[in-house]
Amino acid sequence: MTDVAILDRAFSAVLARMVRTGQAPHYVELAAELGVDPETGRRIVNDLMASGIPAWTHPGTDYIASFPPFNNQPTQYRITVDGRQRWFAQCGFEALAVRWLFPGQAVRVDAPCLDCGEWLSIETRDDEILSVTPPTMVGYSRSAVGGDAASRPFR
Amino acid sequence: MNLFRSEEHARRSASFDPDWVHMLMPVADWADIFSSPMFRERGRGDYISWLRSPEGQASTTAMRAKIPKPA
Repeated sequence: MTDVAILDRAFSAVLARMVRTGQAPHYVELAAELGVDPETGRRIVNDLMASGIPAWTHPGTDYIASFPPFNNQPTQYRITVDGRQRWFAQCGFEALAVRWLFPGQAVRVDAPCLDCGEWLSIETRDDEILSVTPPTMVGYSRSAVGGDAASRPFR
Repeated sequence: MNLFRSEEHARRSASFDPDWVHMLMPVADWADIFSSPMFRERGRGDYISWLRSPEGQASTTAMRAKIPKPA
């Protein structure tokens, strides 16, 4: 198992890349950033996914599919920061946590309602909720927050 | 874990399960839960270590305690 200090650096590097670009790095890119060989980078990615955070690789691959609060594969939760739409959230709830990675900036979540397809949006800046449209918006889950780790890529 | 335009929309959706109705809340309430330190601290350079520390564990426990339970 990878040393926790390396997991700290890997978590930080993956998240920083996603904040900057909206995309997760490949394990070879991560390896270069951490100063290790590609196979070690591959192992670090998989150990990071097994560390207890709600993140996963695409099943059967070493590609980072989801890394909280972001999703590498587009979801219906589009994130716009100061007018730039570059990110997707892992789920509707994690969309509400994206703001902590963009301090002082306006973060807007736009998504279609899964019932009617009409759009909804919520805009925040740090602790402040700037707008909720429509104001009747709710969140709902039919599983525990985080849920069963093994089923996450399939929900 | 999805957002809907209203409670009525959530209840009408294909994913709705009445056994999990306790997980239906205004978005502001979910925003409060996702304001816990375990989400706010993700930007720190030692996040995994912090999450495993007594402070991180306490934050996780406190966050879970705020999640609604079945009646």
